[in-house]
Amino acid sequence: MLRRLAPVLLIIVIAACGRREPDDGKVHIRYLASPDVGGFSKVIIDRLERAHPELKVDMVEGPAAGDARENMYSTAFMGKEDSYDLAYVDVAWVPKFAAQGWLRPLDALIAPEKLDAFLPGDLEGSRYKGKLYRLPVQSDGGMLYYRKDLLAAKGVPVPRTWEELVAAARKTRTPSIAGFVFQGKQYEGLVCVFMELVWGFGGDLLDAAGVVRIDEPPAVAALTALVDAIHVDGIVPLSVLTYQEEETRNVFQEGRAVFMRNWPYAWNLMQKEGSPVRGKIGIVPMVSGPGGRSAATLGGWGFAVSAYSRHPNEAFKVAEFFASAESQKLAFLKGGILPSRKALYSDPEVLTAAPHMKDLGRVLAGARPRPTHPRWPRMSDALQMHVSAALSGQEYPADALKAAAVEIRAAAAR
Amino acid sequence: MTDHSRAGAVNWLYAAPALLVMGVVSLLPIGYTFGLAGEYHRFATDTRFWPVMRTTLSLTAVTVALELVLGLAMALVLWSPFPGRGLVRAAVLIPWALPTAVMAMAWRWIFNADSGVMGDLFFRLGLAASPQVPWLADATSAFWAIVLADVWKTTPFMAVLLMSGLAAIPDELYEAAAIDGAGPARRFWIVTLPLLKPTILVAVIFRAIQTFGLFDLVFVLTGGGPGGRTQTIAVYAYDVVFRYQELAYGCALVVAMALCLVLMTGLMLGVSRGRGAR
Repeated sequence: MLRRLAPVLLIIVIAACGRREPDDGKVHIRYLASPDVGGFSKVIIDRLERAHPELKVDMVEGPAAGDARENMYSTAFMGKEDSYDLAYVDVAWVPKFAAQGWLRPLDALIAPEKLDAFLPGDLEGSRYKGKLYRLPVQSDGGMLYYRKDLLAAKGVPVPRTWEELVAAARKTRTPSIAGFVFQGKQYEGLVCVFMELVWGFGGDLLDAAGVVRIDEPPAVAALTALVDAIHVDGIVPLSVLTYQEEETRNVFQEGRAVFMRNWPYAWNLMQKEGSPVRGKIGIVPMVSGPGGRSAATLGGWGFAVSAYSRHPNEAFKVAEFFASAESQKLAFLKGGILPSRKALYSDPEVLTAAPHMKDLGRVLAGARPRPTHPRWPRMSDALQMHVSAALSGQEYPADALKAAAVEIRAAAAR
Repeated sequence: MTDHSRAGAVNWLYAAPALLVMGVVSLLPIGYTFGLAGEYHRFATDTRFWPVMRTTLSLTAVTVALELVLGLAMALVLWSPFPGRGLVRAAVLIPWALPTAVMAMAWRWIFNADSGVMGDLFFRLGLAASPQVPWLADATSAFWAIVLADVWKTTPFMAVLLMSGLAAIPDELYEAAAIDGAGPARRFWIVTLPLLKPTILVAVIFRAIQTFGLFDLVFVLTGGGPGGRTQTIAVYAYDVVFRYQELAYGCALVVAMALCLVLMTGLMLGVSRGRGAR
């Protein structure tokens, strides 16, 4: 019996795979995001559906790893499928997605003066070739965490330059406490760390005119500083070459490092009850080198409208609701999600809940997006590889960046 | 129509569903890949192609060689009767039965720089100055970490294949050799090894093809780092297609991979036939 039914069942399963909208008379807007851990997205969706009874938002909770979600979006868009009406995209995906024609330009849908309320970096990172493709919802930027207690014990001031950071790390580290830890594994995070220093040393990767400048002296000086920190000054353990964000945070949170480069998400986790460093940590913008200004690599997320959605206007309405000040405040208070709106960093309610938001506002005001180039993944991989090779002692800094520049120029020229 | 040709027609009819499925899920995508492939001139200028190829080939050579030696030893042990053999045979297969990605996560913990078991082990044995050894931070040790993880996982598979070969060797030959005065070592060299050769060849080709296309272990364990030194051709092809969106060149890489495999297999078959003729 079952054997005879099997082909029929198979056909039913295959037929059910196509996306069909439920027959409830509402417009369904679907998107993919990371697991809704704090549950605040569901609260925002509830509010939205009450305010707009004609809409129904289907949030698909996908994998926590960003790369995996990027691939899921890419696969759906490569097949020109309307599986997702909205895409919750990382700032680094914008150029690639926009260049492929997967996203709908939003300029016609929003008044330009409404955009002034967003952080400048988040907005710049949402544009590709002058067109707006994303409404920023969540901001993110790299910064320097430090142990207040350990610095105070040695009377060391909070460093503002690379030189001061090295000196401070040398004075405060012990055999069991490393000076400085960062994300050193060969992956996108390494480029984020490295670009902060390149900008901080006065260099750049791809300037506004499209010239590749990563093999110029400031960038070489930045990489040399990072390599020396591991191999000469000894303030950075070699194991950072295997660290991503969580490994870095674990080391710092367990009290085994004085300084750490990380994203804002780490703050809430380290201030939780039971955390060994609770109440002992501070944040400042990343240090700068000679001739540069402190910079942060911009992360951050926002909603883009799929070019294949059958309901682009309704989808944009959902994006606008998520980007509203009320929704962002809720996401911050419930889930620690950093707002993309400037005003929220001086909002009394936000500051009462989290006084460090004032410092964070300073970090994010200086945050810079990575180059908006459709072939960024290839450029990033070339940079990751050679920076990693330099950090692990396989290549000299100048040679590594020369080789990276050759590959990045080739990618840009293609 | 003769009975013979009718039987042939019926056979084809029975095989048709399987052939159809094979065609749709296997031949069609392969043909499609060949159709999409292009930009072959980029092989000449691609600075990544040869380093990645070298990594892949050395990984294949080292891993398969180690597996062959260890797998053969394992097969010989498991073939000789001892109490509880069935249980041991089943236990030995566990690594092979585990999904590679899951196993690779476990190895990542084992090689963890701060709290990994491997570092602790080396420290206790007096081979490392501290229990915190950043194995995956160094190009050479990261390469050997991959080799170790892959050998651990696939040696049982090799052993099972070789055991099937051992089963085909008649006991009479061993008896005859023993009567002629050959000891166990000599019996291994003059009876077991020559008769096992066809099985060894099949096993080595099988494993070489699999290792050449190694993806999941590298992807999870090292991500191709440090400095791109553990990136295999499969990982690179994945990056080119899915991350760089360079479909034509990515498919060309896959075609190059397929050609390499055909060449490699042909070479192994040729070498073994040439030896056999002598």
